[in-house]
Amino acid sequence: MTANSEEQDLKDRLSLIENMIAEGRRSTESYAWTFILWGVAYYVAIAWSTWGFGWAIWANNYVAWPVTMMSAFLLTWFLAIRKRIGKTGKQPATTAGRAIASIWIAMGISMFILLYSLGVSGKGDQQVFVAVIAAMLGTSNAASSMLLKWKQQFACALVWWAAAVASCFGTVEQSTIALVVAIFFCQIVFGIYGMVCEARLRKQRGGSHA
Amino acid sequence: MPELPELNPVIHGKLRLALLSLLIGVEEAEFTWLRTKTGSTDGNLGAQLLKLEEAGYVAVEKKFVQRKPQTLYRMTEAGRLALTEYVQALKQLLGAAIGA
Repeated sequence: MTANSEEQDLKDRLSLIENMIAEGRRSTESYAWTFILWGVAYYVAIAWSTWGFGWAIWANNYVAWPVTMMSAFLLTWFLAIRKRIGKTGKQPATTAGRAIASIWIAMGISMFILLYSLGVSGKGDQQVFVAVIAAMLGTSNAASSMLLKWKQQFACALVWWAAAVASCFGTVEQSTIALVVAIFFCQIVFGIYGMVCEARLRKQRGGSHA
Repeated sequence: MPELPELNPVIHGKLRLALLSLLIGVEEAEFTWLRTKTGSTDGNLGAQLLKLEEAGYVAVEKKFVQRKPQTLYRMTEAGRLALTEYVQALKQLLGAAIGA
């Protein structure tokens, strides 16, 4: 073997290591769809709690958020399992993936318990609800963005925090507008952007087999 | 002149190197997932994983999930250390080759 071909062989091995490490970590990259799903769920909950759906218990404002959020949680869980067990076998868990999932699950449980308790006890008005939702979503987005080093997601956290502040100082109508706008940008628009990024990555992938 | 390092022969095989590099990024992985990612055959993959297991670089767990057998592979601390040392040696050798 000549010195040049030996050097090339060493370079190939280094590149193989880099490619395979990247390949192993790719399992954490497909979750943008959850932003859109939850964005739609928030809109359904807002519409339901504002106007009701006209029939008996369904018109009750207190069931709108818990029922919608529980349904969205079950749907996310079901779809996430289906996506994880893909055609290529079960996607392995990564430490980063588990950390991100833990942040969102813990935030979801905290939000559910707090908002439901405030609603049932009658101690929270609409502005408090919006401020709590926006602040918690801001926290989770910020934590995820720092883990993933994703500036665009940190911008979402800033929008959520701004909505939380606006809700505290504005009127009831302004707080509703702040929530609807934040959901649009941080869930729907960011979710679509995330899905476009994921599709681009999948296209770039190509065959990196050993 | 400093002595050039030797590359670990257990890791040096391309498939074994790919397997360790895949496993370092995940907590544990199924045999089928490793097969898809490496594009290897069942026989070759099994033989290379056995070599890594014998060297103490990967740990194997066999279990049944919904009555189907499942083999999970996880990188050990020894495997992590060996791959780190291998990469360092590789970089040192490349540095020497470029400097020559």
